[in-house]
Amino acid sequence: MLELKEVQAFYGTIQALKGVTLEVNAGEIVCLIGANGAGKSTTLMAISSVVPVGGGTIAYDGRDITRLATDRVVALGITQVPEGRMIFPDLTVLENLRMGAYLRRDRAALKADEAHALDLFPILKERRKQLGGTLSGGEQQMLAIARALMARPRLLLLDEPSLGLAPIVVEHIFEVITRINTEGTTLLLVEQNAQMALQVAHRGYVLETGRVVISGTAADLLADPRVQEAYLGMDMA
Amino acid sequence: MLEQQLINGLTLGLIYALIAVGYTMVYGVIQLINFAHGEIYMLGAFFCVTLITAAGLPFYVAMLMAVVCCAMCGILLDIIAYRPLRRAPRLAALITAIGMSIFLQNLALIIWGSRSKPFPRTALPGYLTEQALTVGSVGLSWLQLFIFAVAIGMMLLLYLVIQKTRIGTAMRALAQNRTAAALMGINVNRVISFTFALGSAMGAVAGILVAIYYNTLYPTMGYTAGVKAFAAAVLGGIGSVPGAMAGGVVLGVAEALGAGYVSSLYRDGVAYAVMIAVIVLRPSGILGRAVTDKA
Repeated sequence: MLELKEVQAFYGTIQALKGVTLEVNAGEIVCLIGANGAGKSTTLMAISSVVPVGGGTIAYDGRDITRLATDRVVALGITQVPEGRMIFPDLTVLENLRMGAYLRRDRAALKADEAHALDLFPILKERRKQLGGTLSGGEQQMLAIARALMARPRLLLLDEPSLGLAPIVVEHIFEVITRINTEGTTLLLVEQNAQMALQVAHRGYVLETGRVVISGTAADLLADPRVQEAYLGMDMA
Repeated sequence: MLEQQLINGLTLGLIYALIAVGYTMVYGVIQLINFAHGEIYMLGAFFCVTLITAAGLPFYVAMLMAVVCCAMCGILLDIIAYRPLRRAPRLAALITAIGMSIFLQNLALIIWGSRSKPFPRTALPGYLTEQALTVGSVGLSWLQLFIFAVAIGMMLLLYLVIQKTRIGTAMRALAQNRTAAALMGINVNRVISFTFALGSAMGAVAGILVAIYYNTLYPTMGYTAGVKAFAAAVLGGIGSVPGAMAGGVVLGVAEALGAGYVSSLYRDGVAYAVMIAVIVLRPSGILGRAVTDKA
């Protein structure tokens, strides 16, 4: 479904991605794990065309999308929940959701999707008239995910959904991630919380300083001593 | 005396408000002070008069066409001058804006000459040149009522567009977080174009109203009006649309009172004094929020 080949990206003269190759198949949850600055978020931003790709190619359903504008990438069905949530603080919860559906014209189905999104996160229903900026961190993360779902993505890119959230909220978010996947959306998940991510993912890639260094099924990665030591906090000594 | 000054101030203030929303909306979406906005206002007046005198169009048609032309000029201004600099340092775009202001002013000088022209009053509907009512020593002309109606109507319309429509919500979203807006599938450049069109249309209306009100138009008219409307936008809190509206009215009234009670020589001085006071005492403006919120 999505195929990255030797993708490079730069911030000024600093090379954030030094050739990332990975693929996501339809129906999967694939996770990217790695330390801070490994290039996980940059990879997602490159797919969404927010960060320009300096080399390599990105293909989606066999079509080259490397140089498409961000809004065109979204139109093809690739939506991102960015790191830090980036909800619109001065728009209401409902307005935020409607922005998620910006490119859609099917009004009838929209209403149903809005109801479905609010159903996934009942707290948002209570707060639907509140401004996004007044929500708690966890609620903002829920809103960011719900907003992205409003676009009816075929591929959802999720960047650090657990960051800074209480364990019980993280658990809820991961339940929803699994549910979204079983309802037919493919996911590419970036997570610091490797343990949690590998439990829900089918496959994973480990990024180090802008390159994929290990890849495999989630079970393989969980069992890999290098992964255990570096990312799962297990002492191998 | 006071009532008359208030009416005159309100008239002027509503016009400032119309121009100021253009500054503030553009600032909201691309953090640029579009110094060429005053020139769009000037072009509005000249387009309208030219369409009346050269093309022989009736006033309302000429006004509408001039406004549409200015909206397109605003879009072109952005595409030609500012879009190439979107990723450049803000100072580069700011200097470009000043450059475009000078360029457009001189272009108008070449096309229409430097001498000020009267507004072709014969083309106006008859009632616009008559007094509507006089109470004691206070007079209110139909023209002033027309300005009130048009300015308030335009601002209500603007409010509805920004608050209720899909593209208006996209404008607000873009002002709050550009990356997130793009990730929603919003075509950022198209929304910016729309913002320029909307702001320029409001500015053009203001230019036409002023040309009728003072019965004069000249290529440099955009400079003073532009600076004052910018002061109004700063007064209201740059980036805030209701702030720009309020700032315009406050500034217009302050100016009229200053001119009436101190000396008409201080008319412009009052406007600048207000701007300096705001910058010193409350840099975020009446309805603006502290800059730290934006970070």
